[in-house]
Amino acid sequence: MSCGDPHDKDCAEALARMVFFIDNELADADASTIQKHLDDCAPCVDVYALERAVKALVARSCAMHAPDELRERVLLRIREVRVTYTEEA
Amino acid sequence: MAGTCTSTSPRLALHGLPLGWRAMSEPTDAPTPAETEEERTLRFERDALPYLDQLYSAAMRMTRNPADAEDLVQETFAKAYAAFHQFKEGTNLKAWLYRILTNTFINSYRKKQREPQQSMTEDVEDWQLARAESHTSSGLKSAEVEALDHLADSDVKEALAQLPEDFRLAVYLADVEGFPYKDIAEIMDTPIGTVMSRLHRGRRQLRSLLADYARERGMKVETGAVT
Repeated sequence: MSCGDPHDKDCAEALARMVFFIDNELADADASTIQKHLDDCAPCVDVYALERAVKALVARSCAMHAPDELRERVLLRIREVRVTYTEEA
Repeated sequence: MAGTCTSTSPRLALHGLPLGWRAMSEPTDAPTPAETEEERTLRFERDALPYLDQLYSAAMRMTRNPADAEDLVQETFAKAYAAFHQFKEGTNLKAWLYRILTNTFINSYRKKQREPQQSMTEDVEDWQLARAESHTSSGLKSAEVEALDHLADSDVKEALAQLPEDFRLAVYLADVEGFPYKDIAEIMDTPIGTVMSRLHRGRRQLRSLLADYARERGMKVETGAVT
């Protein structure tokens, strides 16, 4: 499916760069070109929304809290490393 | 002698340290004058320790089990602390820690886990094929975007766990941590084109897996032509 004659070429360009747009890898000028295209191309907005949603879903689902005892073990480990270094120095 | 602890303790297994870390850890021209061991420890605890939750989350996605994740995080902090005098203050500490985490994982845990390595070629042409994709090739349709929001976190984690390791890592670093491609390239020690290829392939597989989960959960999902 293409979104029609008037801006087929724009769509191809927008889709090719969509991932860079979503990943915030474009220079401002290039990003605003895509943004303008999205303002009036519903099919490309759908692609954008989907890719954006998957990215947000991954971000949302992976945040965890480290167990409290891990924090303690890390602090202990740092002290161990420090003692070793102090002895060597 | 603070600042000159370059000798390697055999207990620390420092071989995995990212000494090739480019701009992020260039040796300072003038090392912080007379920082005591105590001051450096406090600075480490103040600056690096707040990343504990994030590094643990990443380690869980890497190792896929809590015991290995905890060991990996501990090892990462021990190595980071031992090398902290090499870290240039004001540069990207988070990326530096992730590089040590990734490096430690690859050197210690990947071998242990003996995950069958993917022998896929990862050339740049692959992600450039994305240029040929049309509106309908994403695997899910816009109507299903909302359905994705109802997937449980555990579904998403399971889907991620099924991705080949390098793809999973690239997607994690980009989507969870929001690292720029150039940082991911440094962290994974790979060219930026390979990062793009891994992201492209990883996300494509992930979308397809998420569509499967959504379908299993009884959501009406029609996949488009997944390429």
